[in-house]
Amino acid sequence: MSSDLKLTFIDRLRILRETRFGAFVPVLLALAAIWTYFGIAVPIWDYWGDSDAESIRFIFLSSRNIYNLFMQSAVIATLAVGITVVLLLGDIDLSAAATAGVCAALLGVLVLAGVPAWIACLIVMGVGIVMGAAQGVLVAYVGIPSFVVTLAGLLGFQGLMQKILPTGNLNVGDPFIRGFARVLLPETAGWALATACVLIFAVLNLRKQGQRRQKGLELESSVAVWGQVTFFGVLMFATVATLNSYRSVPLLVVLLMAITTLVGWVTTSTPYGRSIFAVGGNQESARRVGMNVKRIRVSAFAIVGLMAAIGGIFGASRFGSVSYTAFAGGSLLLESIGAAVIGGTSLFGGRGSVWNAILGALVIGSLGNGLDLSGASAADKLMFSGAILLLAVAIDAVSRSGSTSS
Amino acid sequence: MSFKNTTVGHPAPPPHLRVSGIHKRFGGVHALRGVDFEVARGEVMALVGDNGAGKSTLMKVLAGAHAANEGQFFIDEAPVNVTTPNDANGLGIQIVYQDLALCENLDVAANLSLGAEPVKSGWRFLPHLLRPLDDLEMEVKAKNAIDRLQVKTLQSVRAKVGGLSGGQRQAIAIARAVGADCSVVMLDEPTAALGVAQTRQVLDVVKRLRDTGHAVIYISHNMRDIFEVADRICVLRHGGNVATWRTENTTPDEIVVAMTRGLDAGANNVV
Ligand SMILES: Nc1ncnc2c1ncn2[C@@H]1O[C@H](COP(=O)(O)OP(=O)(O)OP(=O)(O)O)[C@@H](O)[C@H]1O
Ligand SMILES: [Mg+2]
Repeated sequence: MSSDLKLTFIDRLRILRETRFGAFVPVLLALAAIWTYFGIAVPIWDYWGDSDAESIRFIFLSSRNIYNLFMQSAVIATLAVGITVVLLLGDIDLSAAATAGVCAALLGVLVLAGVPAWIACLIVMGVGIVMGAAQGVLVAYVGIPSFVVTLAGLLGFQGLMQKILPTGNLNVGDPFIRGFARVLLPETAGWALATACVLIFAVLNLRKQGQRRQKGLELESSVAVWGQVTFFGVLMFATVATLNSYRSVPLLVVLLMAITTLVGWVTTSTPYGRSIFAVGGNQESARRVGMNVKRIRVSAFAIVGLMAAIGGIFGASRFGSVSYTAFAGGSLLLESIGAAVIGGTSLFGGRGSVWNAILGALVIGSLGNGLDLSGASAADKLMFSGAILLLAVAIDAVSRSGSTSS
Repeated sequence: MSFKNTTVGHPAPPPHLRVSGIHKRFGGVHALRGVDFEVARGEVMALVGDNGAGKSTLMKVLAGAHAANEGQFFIDEAPVNVTTPNDANGLGIQIVYQDLALCENLDVAANLSLGAEPVKSGWRFLPHLLRPLDDLEMEVKAKNAIDRLQVKTLQSVRAKVGGLSGGQRQAIAIARAVGADCSVVMLDEPTAALGVAQTRQVLDVVKRLRDTGHAVIYISHNMRDIFEVADRICVLRHGGNVATWRTENTTPDEIVVAMTRGLDAGANNVV
């Protein structure tokens, strides 16, 4: 009897793993490991090692730090979402951070010149799209590998950013732009938003289940459906509760979630998104069923360009300034590619999701934040990031080979 | 190639799809050198030839996957243009590629409606590419297509194609071509990876397609299968026509000789 129960439990776990949330398991494990380490293990270790300490201080898991963590990860996450789209095609974009830098610099200069901030934002987003699409044209129509095109883009745009910002630094004080990172939702609005999201999520899931029953299609197990809804609900409410207990939900986080929802929906639930996955999976098949592979590729690069521009705007908003090192010249590029890959998006195309990129960005952000808190050097941070990247990809590889052989 | 309505057996109808003078070059490789080919509704035309004879290339040209360098296309004797897969689709030409052309990262249902995904009604303000997919409809269609082919070993249309066996994949590729609304179905070695029972089923599908008035082109290296299903047999060699026989007027030996050595000058068995 008990072995029966055990079997079905594992079966249920496996069923859960095969659902939409299944792909989140490795990156969630990585996140849980990092949070446990920095949030619980390190403080306890410090407490034991230091006889003067009066009580354990859980700095990492404090609501203030988690708020900061979200804000720190937001720019990385924005870029990672865009990069995920090209990774799905089997391409890569090394120029995303430099594009973000050019866009942020341009934004600063435009606002300084007296252009209304919202118009400047739109202009900059247009510029980002053009920069991305131009590289996409070189990849798709001229046939240069994306690695080379975007490497050239990286160098060229770094130079361009320095041309726009000869001093390498420009303060952005415009209230509209600063608003993205500064405006906080009222606490009740945060709760209302979370409730609405969870309700919509639950209704959509249950309605789909009902339609499946009606059409005689195989049903998802109700454990999986309710598991998804519960999981999503807990995640949403825990996030809002944590953010509210420090300040409240920042507009930046809401915007990021909204954009990710939109990109996620486009990539998974439209013919366009399906064609991205098809090209990533088997470009020749996609071509043979009549998909316009070249145009799809250009559009995907345009999306990265747009996301990079938005990342640039968010960055300028959060830092209150545009500097060369914060964008083009710093670690932003590798962190955002790392975020996408840690999230579980394959570098070979056809597998991944933008939500995983968000979680990947949280992993990278948590790692940096935790190491900063424990006073690690920049050298330690780099080595740790490398190890985590490897570990995350390894978890993914292992869990994937397990699931295909079963 | 003239078509004489003289033989006994199946009445020979006029060609539905006809091409003539097809040339296809891949850089220096001259893969098709002025090939003529035709197929009528309600018949199975077998296409045979040695490895590298140009069979698959001819099929890809007919399906619009490769654009011919020269040559004319006719549907019911009206000239048409086929340079892209969409052209061929629009003319009702469907193909099972030799390499199957499936996306392993997508599930069975997604593969079956690849390139022709159903979208939900409404949402007219959005361009077609950005309307929500009707994935339930997709699954229903996939289930019907799979049921028709009787792929019993396939458990779920939501399984990723990457995890399926070679035979299951082949069945899916066939289901994709057969499931679409079409008048011409081309099968490029559809039974290469199949067991005895599955091969039987594919041959039955081919016969059913013929009986429902489709024009079927069947490529295979298996003479037994060919002599079982084909009404006519067209032999290619080195990218050119050798000849076309009615099945009842020839033997496997004659076909094998024609495939490997071509015809002796003067011999003419063309119908
Ligand atoms: N994409 C391509 N690029 C270059 N050459 C090609 C290409 N496709 C086919 N060829 C050449 O065209 C010729 C015909 O190939 P094709 O695939 O049509 O042969 P086939 O008759 O289908 O052979 P098989 O029985 O082995 O499938 C071969 O010499 C092949 O090398
Ligand atoms: Mg072939």
